[in-house]
Amino acid sequence: MKTRRDCREWRELLGAFALGQLDGAERIGLEAHLDGCAECRAELAALQPVAQMLPYADPARFESAPVPPPELGRRIAATIEGEKERQHKRRQRRRFGGFALGGAAAALATAVLLLFILGGEEANPEQHVNFASLPAGVKIDATLEPHAYGTEIRMYVHGVESGTLCRVALRGPKGITYPAGTFRYRWGDDSDAVLSSALDLSRTRAVVVHAGKQTFVAPVNPTATAFIPRTKEEST
Amino acid sequence: MIQLGTSTRGALSRERDVREAYAAHAGELYGFAVRSLGDSGLAEEAVQETFVRAWRAGDRFDPKIGSLRTWLFAILRNVVIDLGRARAIRPGVAEGGVEPSVEPLEDALLAWQVEEAMRRIGEDHRRVLVETYYRGRPYAEVAEELGVPEGTVKSRVYYGLRALRVVLEEMGYED
Repeated sequence: MKTRRDCREWRELLGAFALGQLDGAERIGLEAHLDGCAECRAELAALQPVAQMLPYADPARFESAPVPPPELGRRIAATIEGEKERQHKRRQRRRFGGFALGGAAAALATAVLLLFILGGEEANPEQHVNFASLPAGVKIDATLEPHAYGTEIRMYVHGVESGTLCRVALRGPKGITYPAGTFRYRWGDDSDAVLSSALDLSRTRAVVVHAGKQTFVAPVNPTATAFIPRTKEEST
Repeated sequence: MIQLGTSTRGALSRERDVREAYAAHAGELYGFAVRSLGDSGLAEEAVQETFVRAWRAGDRFDPKIGSLRTWLFAILRNVVIDLGRARAIRPGVAEGGVEPSVEPLEDALLAWQVEEAMRRIGEDHRRVLVETYYRGRPYAEVAEELGVPEGTVKSRVYYGLRALRVVLEEMGYED
């Protein structure tokens, strides 16, 4: 053993010292050095918490970490996708005025509505519009509601790139389009964009959505404003 | 920490970011889940539940408060506690002798952190720590076996502890 060590040499003993593995002259010498060296004391203070953690570990587990099975990621993605799908359906059912009823109740509700419609009463005048032939993963739907000023449009978009600018317009009987406004789609935002157009719902023939560079058109059938088909669809 | 894109809050509501978060952290989360639950099936369940909860609460994640990794570990911790409770009221499991882990969760977390850090430091450093500390072998014997001077074994123990500290800090450990 050397009689005189420099600071670096003493410091390299701090590991063994912190683990209680140093004895004899080395231990005494290091303790004396620590008394006079603030840097080495600080270094020891940094190592001690680590040394105190060591007893918790099991060295048999040092060699290899458990690896999650490859299908776990896919399973999580599928679970989230399924939950998203259910949320979307719940949202749509709310939009239909709570028609998430059992078969018999839905049939009864339909009958009541038919009475209203046949009796010339205006029942819930909203109209739900489906966009067909969308790219995979993209969902767009719209709900139109007539007002004195024109038509209110509630747009739901899902699955296009976040930040995509969406321009919405209604198309009238002669192919003339009436702008309804713009909105930006954001990932994770499941709320509806509420827009309006001066075109009367009874004269609306189509909803046109320009999302990014793509254009989607959904036909609007004014005779279907009394929403019997939707009720049937929901009751299945 | 993973890149969070342009949005700061609510990043995990995006399915793509759930996938990125999974790629970055699932290994560690699973490792800790196995360590604390002692069962790979339960660990898978715990990790799945963690990411689903994270996705549901994605808009509450704020990177200004802490890293995504820390947030995911906090969720996993709660999931493990819930699973532990569920297991406690399923007496069949405990009686069947498959009750694997009885150590408190905090100890399991410490254990997992050290084990994970040990896997990340260099082989030379890990080796001297295992031989001298865990196996309690004399420095002279280890030095002879490795064909290096005893002083080198001591300095490797020192640099090994330093490396552990650096890795633990990277993993989010604070004294």
